[in-house]
Parts: sequence; C-alpha cells; structure tokens
Amino acid sequence: MNNIFNFNRFGLLLKRQWLNFGKIYVISLLAVIGVVLGFYIWSAPSPSKFNNFDYAGHLDMRFRYPLFIILGFLFISIVASSYFSLLGQKSRAILELMTPASTFEKFLAGVLYTAMLSLACYLVLFYIIDFAFVKYINAHLAEFKMEENSKIAAKPVESIAEQFFNNEKARKFLSGFFALPFLTTSIFLLGSVYFNRFHYIKTAVSVMIFTGLAGYIIFKSTALLSEGMLANNRVNDSEEILSLFLLITTILTFVVWVITFVRLKEKEV
Amino acid sequence: MIKISNLNFGYSKEKPLFKNMSMQLSHGHIYGLLGKNGAGKSTLLKNLAGLVYAQSGTLNVMGYNPAKRQPALLEQICFIPEEFYLPAVKIDAYVKANAPFYKNFDHQYFGNLLKEFEIPVSQKLIDMSYGQKKKMIIAFGLATQAKLIIMDEPTNGLDIPSKTQFRKIMASALRDDRCIIISTHQVRDLDNLIDTVIMLDENDVALKASVQEITEKLTFKKVKELDASIIYAEPSLSGYNAVMPNYHQEESKLDMELLFNAIVAEKIKFKPLFN
Repeated sequence: MNNIFNFNRFGLLLKRQWLNFGKIYVISLLAVIGVVLGFYIWSAPSPSKFNNFDYAGHLDMRFRYPLFIILGFLFISIVASSYFSLLGQKSRAILELMTPASTFEKFLAGVLYTAMLSLACYLVLFYIIDFAFVKYINAHLAEFKMEENSKIAAKPVESIAEQFFNNEKARKFLSGFFALPFLTTSIFLLGSVYFNRFHYIKTAVSVMIFTGLAGYIIFKSTALLSEGMLANNRVNDSEEILSLFLLITTILTFVVWVITFVRLKEKEV
Repeated sequence: MIKISNLNFGYSKEKPLFKNMSMQLSHGHIYGLLGKNGAGKSTLLKNLAGLVYAQSGTLNVMGYNPAKRQPALLEQICFIPEEFYLPAVKIDAYVKANAPFYKNFDHQYFGNLLKEFEIPVSQKLIDMSYGQKKKMIIAFGLATQAKLIIMDEPTNGLDIPSKTQFRKIMASALRDDRCIIISTHQVRDLDNLIDTVIMLDENDVALKASVQEITEKLTFKKVKELDASIIYAEPSLSGYNAVMPNYHQEESKLDMELLFNAIVAEKIKFKPLFN
C-alpha cells in the first residue's frame, strides 16, 4: 500500500470532505451569487436611472472592479480559513486525523478545495452574472441616452472577461497578479491549521503584523544600504516589476503551502 | 502487536505524564486501562493512535510508528474517543463516505450491530441521543475489522441494557488477531470483560497483569478482622473487603475497584508480587 499518495484514496477523501465541507461551500456560493446580483441590480446602468454614464461617456460599469476584487478576496479567504478549522475542535480533529488517508492527501484535498475549486467557482459565477447583465444592457442600448433628446445611442458594454482578453495591456498588467489569489488562500489555509479558534481574524491580524514588519525592515535596510548613493531611476520597466512580483508571490505561495503541510503533519489533539 | 519503549511524554516540560514507560501488548487480549484522573489514560491511548507525539522513546504499533499517521496503520485502528463528533447526515451517508477507507469493512456485521444496539437507522446522526451516537460509532468501529480497537470510556452515556449489550458485543469481537484496549473509570462495567489489567500511576505502569495472574497471586475476600497478612482492606457493612496474598491457591473473584484502590494506596507492597 502506498502510504503517501493513492488516487483511489484521494478520490474517497474528496468525496468524504464534500460531506463535511460541501454544505458550507454551497451556502457560501449562494451568498456570493446574492451579493453579486444585488450589486449588479443596484449599480448597473438602467434606462430608468438618471445618470448611467462615466466621465468618458461609456455606460458606467466601474462598480464591477472593486466588487470583483473585494468579494473575491473575502470569498476565497473565508473558504480557505474554514477548511481545516475543525482541527481546532478536539472531537472533530480526532475524526479527521484518524481517517485512513495520508497527511499529503489531506493537505492536497485542502489545496484543491480552497485554491482551485473556490477560485474557479468564483470566477465562473462572476463571469456568468456579468455576462448576463452585459447581454441584457447591450440588448437595450437604444434606451440609454447620454442627454435628453439626444439621438446618439450608448456604446456597447464589454464583459469583464472580454475586457481582460481583448485588452493586451490589461492582460499583461493583471497577469503579474496571477499568483495573488493562490497566495491569499494558502495563507488563510495555514491560519486554519495553525490557530485553534478565531482563525480568520487571527490570520488577518498576523498577516497585517507580518507585512507591516517586513515592509518596515525592507524600507529601513534599503535606506541604510543606499545611504549616500545617487538614485538611478531604473524602475520604469513595469513589466520587469510585474514579473518580479509574480515570481515572489508564486514562491511565497509554495513556501506557505509547505509550511501548511508541515503544520498539518505536526498537528496534535 | 504494540511495543512501547522508554516513552516520555508530557503536555509541558515541567509536568511529565510518562517517564520512561515501557510495555508490550499482544493480540488476542482485552486490556482494561485504569488510573486516577490525570494519570494519562487518554493520553496513552492518543499516543498509540498517533494523535499526540512522544517527547522521546519509541512506539511500535503493528510494525508502524503511529506518529507518521500512515493510512496502512490508520485503517487497522478503530479509535473510539470519549468526546466525539458526528456530522449532520444519516447513517447511510456516513457509511458511504467513511466505510470505503476500510477495505475489510463488514456491512452485514454493521447492520447486525445497529439492530442489536437498537439504533434508529433513518434518523440523522446529529438528532440522536449521546448514547445512540456512541453505540453507532462503536458499531462502525467494530465493523471496520480493525486489528487494534482503542476505546476511551466507552460505557459513558450508555444506559444499563446498552452496557450489557456492549459487554456482549465486545466479548464476541475479540479475535486472535485483535487487540482491544479499553480505558475506563467505571471498572464495574468491565468486570468479566477484560482479561488483562493495566494500571497507570505516578508517570508509569503501576500494574500490568492478567486477571488470572492477579487471582493466582492475590485473593479478594470479606474478613471480619484485620490481620498482618492483609495488604489492603476497606471497611464494608459486614467487616472488611480485603486483598491478601493468595498463599493457599484459593479461588476468588477479582474486585477491580478494590484492587485499584489497593494499588494506589500500597503500590510498593504489590511490586514484588508482580515483577
């Protein structure tokens, strides 16, 4: 018997985890649908509204970006933070740790549910809702007028996905942040193993303290090292910075996953 | 089957729970693990199941180190904790999700145990009483056909008929390749069930002896007056319940509660008898 990884056992574990995790997962997804729909109904342009246009004269869909980022962050972080949270309860931890699957399989199931599935579900749901509203708005374009008595119809709206794929500049810029959602889920997954109670708040506070400290140390050491030197503005190359950011966040994600695996291995009841 | 060598464990470094504890347990036995509150009964069971890690020493359970939590060992361990959790699903769903991990899971036996324990199959696990839930996890654990069965206070929360059923089922669950360890405070619940007594006291094993060995070496009887041969006695209505060396190979029934109190009070006097 392979004591590290077995496909059949991993499949069984995923099924079993769905029994524990599935209900919360589906409820969270329903909540996400509700919030996204609410925001779209409230904020999307409508012929009955007075001001539907942004400063550039396009139908104003700018509310989508903060909604997508903030709600996405909250959803994936909450899901990740709740995944191993049951290990903080003695009775549930015994049941989980005694399940005949390897620690690696349990960890991998956690990564799959939190980093892959939650992110994929969120993107698909957001895309579907956004796409539906964009279709509806574009079908009623003639009803949107920039000014009263104006005969100029509004320009069609693009869905977020279209904007991403059609705009090369945006695609290049955003691809630098590709690892960020994975880093977020990895940190909150680690928090769910590390802390026994109040996983979300404790993880958030720890991240704030850690990033604050790291930022301070980097700033201070840079200032110390570059004391008396002339500044050479070589930082105009944004592509290089984005690539570096992608590399750092990717490495950090893997590092946090490794720490999570070790913590899971060391978990005691 | 289980070999514990020089086990050192404590939840804090200042207060060790086990100091250089060594012991061997073999299959084909039902061990009764006794000890005062805080003696480390549950902790020893957790060590065996790999739920806590020893500070030093080695633990060998069926050839595996339990701390590694390898699936091959986990599927051979049935651990029934004192406090347990069951999800808000029906028995069928629970079995469907958990039984496939145990390749020898016996569905028919599980069904028989549920019937014997009179567990309402159609009810959700979360809606069951504590006793019903406990009987359900005991039934599930036994049906896994695990070779090592570890039970922490299994009779807590069971009513009188259920305790009788439990004893009957556990007696029939013992096989030559199986080792059953039951930790309890309620020693009377395990009368006639266990064949070996393990008593923990003062960071170590105070006594490990089979019931037969105990009754060969000691005799338990009621006496009117105390004399020098008595190792330990407790006053009763008609005199004293006493423990004394069995010099004349008398037959007596092991009084586990009396033995427990005797060992705790007069540990030094018993040591030469069971070394």
